[in-house]
This record gives sequence, C-alpha cells and structure tokens, in this order.
Amino acid sequence: MVRHNGKTQKDKFYACTPKGKNYEVVNPLGEKVKVKGKSLSVTIVNEPGNFTYLIYKKKKYQLEILEKNQNKYTVMINGVWYNFSIETPISYKRMKTLSKTQVLSRVEKITAPMPGKILDIMVEEGSQIKEGEALFILEAMKMQNEIVSNVSGKLGKINFRQNDNVMKDDIILEIERA
Amino acid sequence: MDIEGRNFKKFLDREKIFEEQNSQEVVEKQHARGKLSARERIHILFDEGSFEEIDAFVAPLGDDTGFGKMQRAYGDGVIIGHGKISNRLAFAYAQDFNVMGGSLGQIHARKIAKIQDMALKMGAPIIGLIDSGGARIQEGIASLAGYSSIFYRNVQASGVIPQVSVIMGPAAGGAVYSPSITDFVFMTNKTSYMFVTGPNVVKEVLNEDVTLEELGGAEVHSRKSGIANLMYEDEENTLFGVKKLLSYLPSNNLDNPPYIECIEDAKDNTRMKLRDIVPDDANKPYDVKEVIHLICDKGSFFEISELFAQNIVVGFGRLEGKTIGILANQPKVLAGTLDINSSMKGARFIRFCDSFNIPILTLEDVPGFLPGVDQEHNGIIRHGAKLLYAYADATVPRITVILRKSYGGAYCVMNSKNLGGDFNFAWPTAEIAVMGPEGAVAILYKRELAASDDPLKLKKELAAQYRNEIANPYVADEKGYIDEVIDPANTRKKLISAFEALENKHVNVPSRKHGNIPL
Amino acid sequence: MEIKSILIANRGEIAVRVINTARMMGIATWVIKTAKEPNAYYLTQGDHIIDFTERTEEIAEFLDIEAIVKAIKDNNISAVHPGYGFLAESPVFAKRCAEEKIIYIGPSSEAIFKMGNKTIAKQLAREHKVPLLGGSKGNLASPEEAVKIANEIGYPVILKAASGGGGRGMRIVEEEKSIAKMFKMASSEAEKAFNDPDVFVEKYVRNPRHIEFQIFGDQHGNIIHLGERECSVQRKHQKLIEESPSAALDENLRKKMGEAAINIAKSVNYFSAGTVEFLLDDDMKFYFMEMNTRIQVEHPVTEMITGLDLIEWQIRIARGEKLPLKQSEVKINGWAFEFRINAEDVQSGFSPSLGIIEKISLPRSKNIRIDTGVVEGSRITPYFDSMVAKLIVHGETREKAILYSQNALKKLWIKGLKTTIPFCNAVLLNKNFRKGKYDTSFLTKEMTKHYHEGQDDEMLAAFFATYDFVNEVEKVETKEVDFDKGKNIAPWVLKKRLKSL
Repeated sequence: MVRHNGKTQKDKFYACTPKGKNYEVVNPLGEKVKVKGKSLSVTIVNEPGNFTYLIYKKKKYQLEILEKNQNKYTVMINGVWYNFSIETPISYKRMKTLSKTQVLSRVEKITAPMPGKILDIMVEEGSQIKEGEALFILEAMKMQNEIVSNVSGKLGKINFRQNDNVMKDDIILEIERA
Repeated sequence: MDIEGRNFKKFLDREKIFEEQNSQEVVEKQHARGKLSARERIHILFDEGSFEEIDAFVAPLGDDTGFGKMQRAYGDGVIIGHGKISNRLAFAYAQDFNVMGGSLGQIHARKIAKIQDMALKMGAPIIGLIDSGGARIQEGIASLAGYSSIFYRNVQASGVIPQVSVIMGPAAGGAVYSPSITDFVFMTNKTSYMFVTGPNVVKEVLNEDVTLEELGGAEVHSRKSGIANLMYEDEENTLFGVKKLLSYLPSNNLDNPPYIECIEDAKDNTRMKLRDIVPDDANKPYDVKEVIHLICDKGSFFEISELFAQNIVVGFGRLEGKTIGILANQPKVLAGTLDINSSMKGARFIRFCDSFNIPILTLEDVPGFLPGVDQEHNGIIRHGAKLLYAYADATVPRITVILRKSYGGAYCVMNSKNLGGDFNFAWPTAEIAVMGPEGAVAILYKRELAASDDPLKLKKELAAQYRNEIANPYVADEKGYIDEVIDPANTRKKLISAFEALENKHVNVPSRKHGNIPL
Repeated sequence: MEIKSILIANRGEIAVRVINTARMMGIATWVIKTAKEPNAYYLTQGDHIIDFTERTEEIAEFLDIEAIVKAIKDNNISAVHPGYGFLAESPVFAKRCAEEKIIYIGPSSEAIFKMGNKTIAKQLAREHKVPLLGGSKGNLASPEEAVKIANEIGYPVILKAASGGGGRGMRIVEEEKSIAKMFKMASSEAEKAFNDPDVFVEKYVRNPRHIEFQIFGDQHGNIIHLGERECSVQRKHQKLIEESPSAALDENLRKKMGEAAINIAKSVNYFSAGTVEFLLDDDMKFYFMEMNTRIQVEHPVTEMITGLDLIEWQIRIARGEKLPLKQSEVKINGWAFEFRINAEDVQSGFSPSLGIIEKISLPRSKNIRIDTGVVEGSRITPYFDSMVAKLIVHGETREKAILYSQNALKKLWIKGLKTTIPFCNAVLLNKNFRKGKYDTSFLTKEMTKHYHEGQDDEMLAAFFATYDFVNEVEKVETKEVDFDKGKNIAPWVLKKRLKSL
C-alpha cells in the first residue's frame, strides 16, 4: 500500500541568493530548461582538465564551481562569483517559514577572512563594541588589515592572542548582539 | 463483487478514517513548524512508489488508566515498512509527531521492533526517522520496556546491517539512546534536538537558562558533542544525505560495498598538484582534505563528522569506483595532533569500516598526542588506546601513507606496519622518528647546546643533521618499516593497485566472544 | 665594464622580464631558488640557479644582502639586477655591491639613500625649486609633534614611513582625535616592512591625480625623461591600472613637470632608470612626492608608447654606455594601459585569493603584451605579492586602447583563482574613466561596485549551480550506484567471512 500526501516535484528548483533573490529553474537537466518562466537555450561545455564554459546567445561564459557543500554553491562566472542555495519547492517553503519564526543568532562570530598573523587585538573581553569599530589587526600578504566589527554588542570570548597565526575562517572572537 | 459492496464496507470505512488522520490539515501543522510529515519524509527517502507500509492499522492498546488524555490513532504514531532506496531494499520507520507528539507507547515500540527484526533477517539497511517527544507517560512501564526492546535490537543488528538514525524533530529522554547506538546520526539544522533532559529540567535543577538550540541543537551535536555525524539545512537535503551515505555502504556484513563507475580523463594532470601540497617548512599547516580529494575519484569524498574533532578527518571515498574509508590527520587544526575527541572519532569510524568490509586508507601527518593536564586527566591514555585497538582489531585491508610527520606513539597508533597495516607508503616529505628534530636535539645534545656560544645556530644545524640521518622515510624504508617511498603524484595509482592486491585479504582471528576494547 | 652574467635578486614576473632582455643581449642569468616557491616559473627561465632552499636564517631570502653578495662572488657573476621591491631601493645593498666590485644595475648608493630618505629628498627638491607640500621638516619624534604640525598645516594630513613605498606605513588622518593611534600603527607597520619606524607628516591633498615621470640618466651626466604615467586608479595606495600618457597633461604642463623631474634627478647625479612621482591637483598645480630609484612595475606602458626596452637601457648604462637618445629624439606613439591581474577577491574587499592556477589562457595580438611569472600549475602563495600577470594593451588613441583592452580582458581566462579582471572591466566601463576624468579618489567615489557583472551572469550562474546540484542528486538516486557488483564476492572470501562469524 502506498500512501502519501506529499507531492515532490523533481523538476522544479529555486536557486536562492543570500540577499533573498531567487531563480526558479524548471527541468534543469532536460531539453526544455526554463529559468524564471522563460525558456533558456544554453550549451554547457564541461571537459575534465579544461575550462568549463557555457554558450548562451552565441557568447561564451567561463564557469567554475568554487565551492559546494550540500546544497550551497559558490559559482564563478566570467570572474564574478555568486552564492546560491539550491532549494526544492518544499525546502524553499521551509526556508520562508523558518526565517519568519527564527530570530538571528545572538552571537556573531568574527572569523579570519584570510590566513595570517594577529598583530594586535584592540579590544578586551567583556567590552562594548560599536559597529564599525576596529577589533584586531591581521597581517597577511605583507599588509596589515584592520578587521572591524559588523555588529554592535558585547565582546565575548577572544580565542587568540597577539602574534598567533590563524587560518582562514578561524573564529577569532565572538560578539553578543546588543 | 463490487468494491462498494457490503464486504468492503468496513475496509473502506477504515480507509476513510485513515485519510482523515493524514489530512492536508495535519500535514500543514508540520509544515508550519518547518517540518515535513512522516509520510512525506518516507516518500522522499524511498524510490518513487516503492514503499510498502506494514501495520498501518494497528491501534494503541485500550488499557489506559484514564490518567492523562490518550489520542487514539491508527498506526500509533509510527509508520513502518520497506521499499527501495536507489534501487536497493531498505527498511525504515518514521515517527509521526502529530500523533501524541510522536511519543513511544507499547504498540509504537512493538512496530519499530518488528521492522528492526525484519531488516536484520533480510540483511538490509534500516533507517529510523525520529520525531518524538520521548516515552509515552500515560503508558508508563510499557513504553520504557518498549525502549529497551528497541535498544536490544539495535545492539543485535550492530555490525550486521547499517543502521541510520535521522533526527528530524525532538528526540528526548530515552529516545536519544537508540540513535546513539546506530552507526550514523543525521540531524536537520534548526528543527531537530537531542537531549537526555530538556531545558525545563535544566532550569529546575540547576537554575540555568538554556535554549533548545543551545542545549541539543544540530549545531551543538555536530560541533561539540560529536553525536550528530551529519547536519543539513533542510529535511530534503538530510534525506538526500542518507541516500548518499547508503551509496557507499553494503547491505550487510557479508556483502561488499557498492560500486560507482569512475571515468578518468587521461589528460587530466590535476593530481600532479599532490606534489606541492605539503609545505617544505615542517611547521606550516595545510589542508589534508586537498590531498584526499586529489587521491579519490573526483567528487567522491563524503566526510563524516566534519565539524567535530576537526584535527582528524574521516569519511568515505572511492578508488576506481570502490568504497574505501579514509582517516587523515588534519595539520590545519591543532597541527593534526591526536586528542581525546579525535581518537574516539577515528576509532568509531574504523570499527564501522571493519564491520562492513570497507578497506581503510590512513593519511598520516601527526606530530604526536596533544599534551596537557586536561587531556591526561580526562583519560587520553584510554581514549588513545581505543584508536590503537580499533586499528589492530580491523581485519579489512589497511594501507597507510605517511605524508609528513609521524612521531612517537602517534606513529604506532596510526596503523603502523607492526600494528598489522598491510602496506605502509611514505612520501619523500615524511619524517619518521621517536620525536621531532627540536625535541630530539634538545635531549641528545643538552650539554653541547648549553656550552655553545650560538645555541640557536647549533640547534638548527643539529636539527638538519637529525632530519638527514634519522627522521626521513629512507631510513625506515631501508629497515623495512616502510614498503615504499612513493612520488606523491603517483599515490592514487599505487593505492589502486595495492587495494586490488588486498581485495581477498582474510585474517584468522582467535575464537572468542569478543575482545575487550578499552571503552 | 663588461657584463657577462647577471644575478636577478628577485622573483616572479620581473625576474622573467629581466631574463628575457638579458638573453637577447647574450648575457647569462642567475636566479635564486627559495623554499617558499621551489617550483616557480622564473626558475625555469634563468640559465643558472642559486639554491637558497636549505637556508636557516631568519631574514627573508631576497633581503639577505650578505648571502646574495656571497652568492655573486662565489659564482663569479658580474652584475646584479634588483628588480622592484626587496633590495631594489637599499643603499646598503648598492654600496656592498660597489665594495665587492659587483656591477649594480641601478643608480648609485648615494642617490638611493638620498631619494629613499624622504626628508633629504624634500630638502633637495626645495633647493631645486620643485614645488612641495607643507609638512614636517623631518621625521616625527612623537605623536605630540605630529599633532602640533598637523594643527599648523591643517587637516587632513598624511603620515608616511620615511623609508616607505607601496602604501605600507601610510595613514591619512582626518581629525586630531585619531592621530596618535594612526601614528602608532604607521610606525609599527613601517618598522615591520622597512626595518625603520620613522614617519613624517605632510599636508594631504584630497583627490589628486598621481602622475609620475620615467626618467633615465647615464654615468656621463645626461638625464632625459620618457614621458609620464598616470597611476590614479589606486586602492589604498596600491596601483591597479596605469596608463601613458596621461589625459590630464598638455604639452606645456608635460614640459614643466618633465623639467622638474629632471632637476630632481640632477640633484643627486642620477643615473639608470628612475621615477619621479607628483601629485597633480584640480588647478593643475603639481607637487613633488618622491623619487623611486628603481624600475617600476608599470614600466611596460612607457615601453609600449616609446618602443624602447628600459631593462636594456639599464644594463647598457650600468656598463657605462651613454644614453642612446636625446630628449628631443624621444617619440611618443599612441596610448597604452596596464592592468594588474592580481589574485584578489574584488567582491570582498580585494582580499587575497590564494590557490593554484589550474588553467590559464592569454589573449594574443600585436598590440597586447603580457608580463607574467606564472604558468598552469603555479601556486599563489601568501609569502609574496598576489600579482598573477600584467596585461598591457596599446592603441593608436586612448579610445582605441580602451576598446582593445576590453576585448583582451574578455579573452583572459584563469581557472582556480579569483582575480581583479572583473574590477578592470568595471573601470573600463566607467564614464568618467573613459573620458580621462579621474583622480586617486576614483575607487572610493566613482565606483560604487568594484566589479562588473554582465546582465545575464547571475541568472546563468544560478542555472549552472542548479544543473550541477540536480545532476549529483540523480547520480545517487539512479542506476549509477551498482549494488549488484558489491555482491560479487569471491567464494574464497565469502567462505572465510562466514567462517569467522
């Protein structure tokens, strides 16, 4: 006995950008691809060990998947990259539902944007941070980079000390949102 | 006889109630929580139209005491059945949060046990989709007994068929132990929780405020406790992750793992990159995952417990289509040292691979165990021994490639030749010794260093000499502790032929009930 | 003096650039191999390699004067070319070479010292009536002195490292409040970068154009200039796009500035290649900034419009030859742009994008030149700068040069890294840039977005991501997984497995 109420559509997807824009893609693998309701005629050239590109309206677009993790993609096209999460109609609905009910995480994690060495930490644990305030200086590629806070709040833990070497995406410190 | 006729009346009536029980309205309730209904989940997990439900119409027992309200529903809040996943037989149960919060009563438990028994008899994977508030209080002891019977079957099936638990809602109290016995735990971020005692109890007993998410959310269990092996952002991707995992696993402990044809491009020279991933400076970190990706079939590496104990990387990959299990020290995190968490993570993964005939590849770059009072007091000795035990006890083909550091006890632990490793290869960048150059020089030349005008310079010279004479792969090679020093660019080719040679490996183990792993 | 062989005390594209000219002149080249990039492309181009990979010294390979001098002596090399950066403006290095009778392809140690010390350089400019900006007469002793002088000349002011260059150790200060903090940062950065914590302060001209003159002198007292370069497309004082000539200059101004440049050079009896940098304000008044006593990264634009080989000139002059041209014989032909293709992520604040160049495809044409130190498989490491290549494009007019540049950038494909190409595209499409109306504030003021995206780019990328995702799902869900093959177990194995249960 097969019983189910759920209807999954295997040919309709949404590529969503972090800014909330979304592209509805219908039948991506088939002959008649539709993006945002308009049919799309492209040729994808994807040979291993060579450039990947697609031909659209007689123009070539260089493509590269920079990162993919589960349904999250970073795709570079002609040198410009975009982030997408690929959603099905169901997960798309879930995303909308949850974004309404869930608030932003209280703790903002400040990570190292690149590998380097921490030259100086200008803030102390427990201090109040204003958005735009300089937090620490990271030296990478022989340049000193001032890392500023993108939120206001109270500074929690600092995970590194001066002169520590850090890798990209290491969590340097955490700020509790005000 | 007409289907609308008398003999079918009862049949049709039941169908009607059943339909109501699963009405769109009920489904919408789940959707409003950002979750799918149990039936939708089953539908997504199994190949189109292949799922056959069993015991859809069992009713809960009528012997409730009247204490608390009982909701009577067909199926008693759990769907069980079998079907095909990627065209292969699999069994599953899915708890229905809409029936008494997915709570586990006697019938509910009996159904799960039934499907567990079937899966074990048929030698096919079982997947539990968990969305349950815990034991059904109204049924008291019966529901606790139910849990025990499930745990018992989990343990019986362990190492015989792959068992996967997917947490898609709450899993509280007794409900958490079944997943923790199974081989893999999946969680959906933001809508699933696991804890033995909930936030309310924590508040009552300890007066600590903690949210569901902070106490037992997917993020916490993936990063901190390591209970969750895989975390996904939504339920469909979670279920897709289950399918992906299964594509690496055999149906039972007598089968071999499945196969995916690998088409290699002869012109493709990206594997040459293997030559310059390991930095010349022995203290510079690098990402060992780059090495893994370049060795495996393109895109085939599937990492397990990615966020937990990141100083060891474990996961499945394929070599020319055949599944292997991979363990690799991660120099990028804590310099790749072994600590309590990474030892446990590695050991459990090895046990799984060994149970299911999955050959093990070890990529070694380990400076030693993580030093510290905290580690010692918490029993790094015992936990480190788990990794050692797991390796030595594994009878599947085992190959080690020493990428760089291989020092001291950690050398022994990481599948060394004398621990029963079948092949040990080393890259030219390997340093194999009792300890690193700095440490060795400081001990052996203590007096000379103290007497020197320029101890730093002398230390550097001696360290270079040490590297030259002791800490290199050639010494180990000449003494036979390494089978071959290989060109990094050639690693994949070497491994393919080595695993092929080991395909029919068998080890006679002494007969015993079971060994006594230092748990 | 004869030059039989040259050691190139540098790496990357400039090493390759010098090797190419040396080879043409029949001179043998030596290059230095470092542990940081032992497989670099420039090493395959030189005739001989000096191996510095086993070094244990703390000081970086290309900054270790004594080690380099020793290598030159040991291998009996006649000359050394410092390139740019590293030891290119080290008076100590030039002096050590002179002492050891090594021909230093560049100016005298004295000229490097005087121009390298901004305080002395300003003094010389003042003496030779070259216009200057107000500021401290020398290095600052304390933050308090900085505050005092800044209050005299008025904000904004700029703090600069006395031995600086390339934007390091520089801070613009808008108000008194932040000057002390900025002083500390500039000073510590200067100490790290140049081993000299001294900084000075001067008036900061808002939104000036950055105009520099290529000058050349010989050891017989002749000095000429080869026209100007405009380097106003900058980000945090790092040049990104350069052109020659500049759209801002007319013949009259060019003559005046050229003469000023020559005067500065004359004040130190300059020989070899040098660059005199000026700021040009809205009223077409120019101020002397500094003189760079080396070959510049952007020298190819001058070569493109003059048809000269500046490295060849450097070598000839080092041999003691006279300048081959008089000022009146220098002919400027057409227009040239240089685009620095850096491994940087222009979408996240130009942060470095490290990695491997998996594939690179370069445009080829008569009016295109590419200077690069990388090939497929090269790695962009954090140890050195992030430059991948320089694309230099020539056209008969500025308009044509822009058009050719746009086409060239379209054909420049790199796989494996994020690069500044989308930034270059955006600049070339900017209206004011196309008109030649831009200054050093261009990036912050004119460019609200630091990259150009085509109309359909995002949509196509979205489609491609979806395509890849669905492809992968299909792969797992369908017949591609062969479970039956897993059941083909050799009887040998199966028997043993059963037995051990």
